[in-house]
Amino acid sequence: MDATLSVEHVTKRFGMGETAITAVEDVSFDVAEGEFVSLIGPSGCGKSTLFHFIGGLTAEHGGRVAVAGETISGPHPAIGMVFQEESAFPWRNVIDNVGFALELRGMPRAERLERARHYVALVGLQGFERRHPSELSGGMRQRVAIARTLAAQPRILLMDEPFASLDEQTRLLLGEKVTEIQQQLRQTTLLITHSLTEAVQLSDRILVMTFRPGRLRRVVQVDLPRPRNDDILTSPEFGAYVAELWGDLREEASRGLQAAEHAAG
Amino acid sequence: MPRAEVRLLAPACGVLSLIAAAAALQALIVTDVVSRYVVPPPTDVVMAIARIVREEHVVARFLLTSGETFGSGLLILAVGVPIGFWLHRSALARRAFEAWVAAWAAAPLVLAYPLFLVLFGRSSLTIVVLGFAAGVAPVVLKTLEGLTATRRVLVDVGRSLQITRGQMFRKILIPAALPEIFTGLRLGLTFSLINIVGVEFLINFGGLGQLINELAERYDLAGTYAAIGFVLLASMVFFACMEHVERWLRRTH
Amino acid sequence: MAPAYALTVRRSRLAAALLILTAWQALASSGLLFRDVVPSLWRIAAALATTLTAPAFYANLRVTAFEFAVAIAIGSMAGVLVGLALGASHFLSRAYERWVHYLAPVPKIIFFPVLLLAFGAGLESKIAMGTISCFFPVAISVAAGVRGVPPVLIRVDRSFRATPWQMATKIYLPAVRAALLNGLHLGFGVAAIGVLLAETKLSKAGIGFLVMDAYHRFDMPGMYALLLLVVFLVAGVNMAVTRISRS
Repeated sequence: MDATLSVEHVTKRFGMGETAITAVEDVSFDVAEGEFVSLIGPSGCGKSTLFHFIGGLTAEHGGRVAVAGETISGPHPAIGMVFQEESAFPWRNVIDNVGFALELRGMPRAERLERARHYVALVGLQGFERRHPSELSGGMRQRVAIARTLAAQPRILLMDEPFASLDEQTRLLLGEKVTEIQQQLRQTTLLITHSLTEAVQLSDRILVMTFRPGRLRRVVQVDLPRPRNDDILTSPEFGAYVAELWGDLREEASRGLQAAEHAAG
Repeated sequence: MPRAEVRLLAPACGVLSLIAAAAALQALIVTDVVSRYVVPPPTDVVMAIARIVREEHVVARFLLTSGETFGSGLLILAVGVPIGFWLHRSALARRAFEAWVAAWAAAPLVLAYPLFLVLFGRSSLTIVVLGFAAGVAPVVLKTLEGLTATRRVLVDVGRSLQITRGQMFRKILIPAALPEIFTGLRLGLTFSLINIVGVEFLINFGGLGQLINELAERYDLAGTYAAIGFVLLASMVFFACMEHVERWLRRTH
Repeated sequence: MAPAYALTVRRSRLAAALLILTAWQALASSGLLFRDVVPSLWRIAAALATTLTAPAFYANLRVTAFEFAVAIAIGSMAGVLVGLALGASHFLSRAYERWVHYLAPVPKIIFFPVLLLAFGAGLESKIAMGTISCFFPVAISVAAGVRGVPPVLIRVDRSFRATPWQMATKIYLPAVRAALLNGLHLGFGVAAIGVLLAETKLSKAGIGFLVMDAYHRFDMPGMYALLLLVVFLVAGVNMAVTRISRS
């Protein structure tokens, strides 16, 4: 099954008339089958707007989203979303959270539990099947959300800063887990992030966005070998990629900061 | 004072001081400082407990009042939760009627009991309907509050998985609002019980409220106090259970 | 809110009110129920006019209002004192708060026979009913409010060697203002029910007495008129409290 994601000419404006803000302007890109692409940009570049649009949760935009050439509108089973905020259902234990999508589709219980167990193990949560989210750490809760999305077996995995609320060390460890899973499943993935190291650690390609209006500024191909172990994370090449990205982003981020300070002042 | 010590000592102190108060009261009554025609000696009250359980069908009355409260509770949920959903769904309805529901919550409906009496007759039905009317508003308001507070992302998770309307309701909105709904139910049942026992007492009909009225009218003081104690105990146990369920819901939600 | 939207809101309310009134009128003229159980709107309106022009209504309203006001004053004052004590002292809270908490939802009318014996059939027993009704929500709410006071405020005040009275009036009371109003809000409701229930059971004056009097004379329109007036009065007081607590 072809799993290429195409995003074409997406534009989004908020408000009307003179006070209108263009959040995203004419953004186009593809994610090839099995590829891991990150979209990086400063706060306020319209990353989350794009995320919601590609996932089909907002309709009032210009532009087109297609999976394997087929235009999709509205939420679609081909696309699985992992949200930035905590989204594990607090009233369901781990296994029932992970089996949620399957339950919605009416999959028989035995089959559902088996598949859910598989994905629980995949994200490394075996032994915690009967726990509720309140009994887990933030990183574990986010892994529950990822397993829930993967269990629905989407062709495209779409993630919006899933590790934003976690500490740096947990992030790195979870990043390793995510690439491991992605390589294992050959899962087409689009990750939205504002973390430079995370983008370089995980991606095949990185799309850099500008501050308002959000446009694509540059595409960076990451030619680091996989698996990206500690040697690579500490290598000069890795550092060079991060520095190069920062060179691009610095200007955009400082424009964002000025705008925020202007608004506050 | 160290915390562990407070944890054990303080509740013991509380219980002991209550017993001491009862003993002091007994002494005051025996020495005729307090008239035994206003407050019977605590020992008489304790002895009256067995008598009223035997002679006044306390258990049956307890079941009747509990049953009425339970019936009101079911009606409250069946009507209050859908109304809460409707107000959540329609911004217009909410703007127009939320204040009405809040006013309804504060209205002393028990005064309208003659109306309920003529509409539904001198029966348990009257009492159940009155209990419902008195307790429904908090459930409506809390359901609305719970739904409004439901995190957007949980709804988005459902939408991204092509959830149907019915599934959204059953599997996301209701569970997310459940702790608030339950808080509303506990508040609502407090008002229901005030009205249910109040009407039983007023019209001398039915369960525990009537028992107290009857014993008082017979001037059976020790019996009246014993019955009061029984109602206290029953409602304490009831609301303690409700609170445990509520805390459990809040933990797992 | 856009003016057009405000208009739709007003229209919805009007439509709902008309619907209720029409349904009532239809029920009244349908003959399904015994004639006087659901009197027509005109007769209720006429009874409203009679009630509002009769001096007896105002005399009885004064009685109920007096009972209610005294009950609120005593009950809330006691509630504030007990709430402050429970909230400020860990020991007292562990010893007694559980009891206050479990007594709170008990229907207080069960104490009325005892109150009758202790205070007689006059105003005093109604005031007592209202007082114990109002006491609990205020005490619980204030205690919870005190525990919510930021500890840093308390440390600052201790460092200035404030007396307990100064602590209560300068730190705790302003900080628990919201909690107090919240408790009062609930307290108003249950005190109104308590006073009216007591009047309905046994009294010689007050709104509850008037309602029972109308009922016994089978003056249904008069009874409904009284009920409407009471509901609007209580709703009015309630809204005023809400408005004050939000400002």
